[in-house]
Amino acid sequence: MVKLDQINISNEGLTKFFSPIEAAILRVLWTDGDMMTSELTEKTKIPLTSIAGTLDRLVKAGYAKRSVDNVNGRVRYVYSPVFSEEEAASEITTRVLDSLVDAFGPLAVENFSKYSGKK
Amino acid sequence: MNIIGELNCIGLCLSLSDFAPYIGLLVVVSIALLAARWMRTRPEQRLFTFISAQFAVLLAILATFYIMQCSGMLTVYLYFTYVVVSTVLIFGLLRFYDKILIRRLDAKPIASIMEWGQEFVDRLTSASVYYYDSAVPRAFASGRSIFVSVGLLEVLDDNELKAVLAHEAWHIRNNSRTPLLKQLSFMTFSYSTEHELEHMADAFAARIAGMEPLISARQKVDKLFI
Repeated sequence: MVKLDQINISNEGLTKFFSPIEAAILRVLWTDGDMMTSELTEKTKIPLTSIAGTLDRLVKAGYAKRSVDNVNGRVRYVYSPVFSEEEAASEITTRVLDSLVDAFGPLAVENFSKYSGKK
Repeated sequence: MNIIGELNCIGLCLSLSDFAPYIGLLVVVSIALLAARWMRTRPEQRLFTFISAQFAVLLAILATFYIMQCSGMLTVYLYFTYVVVSTVLIFGLLRFYDKILIRRLDAKPIASIMEWGQEFVDRLTSASVYYYDSAVPRAFASGRSIFVSVGLLEVLDDNELKAVLAHEAWHIRNNSRTPLLKQLSFMTFSYSTEHELEHMADAFAARIAGMEPLISARQKVDKLFI
């Protein structure tokens, strides 16, 4: 979920932190930049019925923003990412690390230093 | 005496009363009308038959209370409290619920993003059309306001949108009558007449905007607009 309250350690890549649909939307937005809903459904190959609620959630959670545009009398949403991929990665890791340090204190820090030593 | 005891007492007194056959007759009539409802095909006829059945049930309930001289019984107090609360909810709160919705959804007049939406509705009824920020295609009417999501405006073409707006305008046009039906459903503990009303709103929308746009709008947003 967008709120990062649940992390699925066994999942791959972004789906550790986001649902597969959220991850697909963010990937497309990061790669191709601003786009309309119809382009998003086309590029993610996810139908509007499945994507619409997720788009609302991503906007509410602050990962995507949108503006209402009127092109030739047609009302359209134009979506864009709030963070770049690197900024999002930085935000996610900071929040995950913060929560680990909160929960385990010095032990978490000790493990990080061991890990960075190995690296 | 508890409620179960009271209900047993009402049952027993009714069976011994001279009026039992008349109340029984009302119950039979309401069941017959309910059955007849399913044989009707036109939504207006189904609605009329269903309302008649509800009136028969209401008459049976009130006749029971009157004949039994049940004043002072907990069951009667509870029923009338239930009626008062549902009346306040339906005629008070629901009537002004659109004002709450405008604030909750942060809805804005549709005229600010499209030209013809408000003008089209003005020709059908007196209601304000608002749009709100959501990608989920939805439309609904409340009080004297029609709400559409931006997601709905995105997926429908002009004719389909006209069908949806006409559907919602029908609800607004009948706003003075439909709460009475809701109230009747509450008072007779029966399910609501929503299904028939939706059909009638669709029939109106088809007359105004055409059957094809209505069907394609329905297919696009499934049953997301009510």
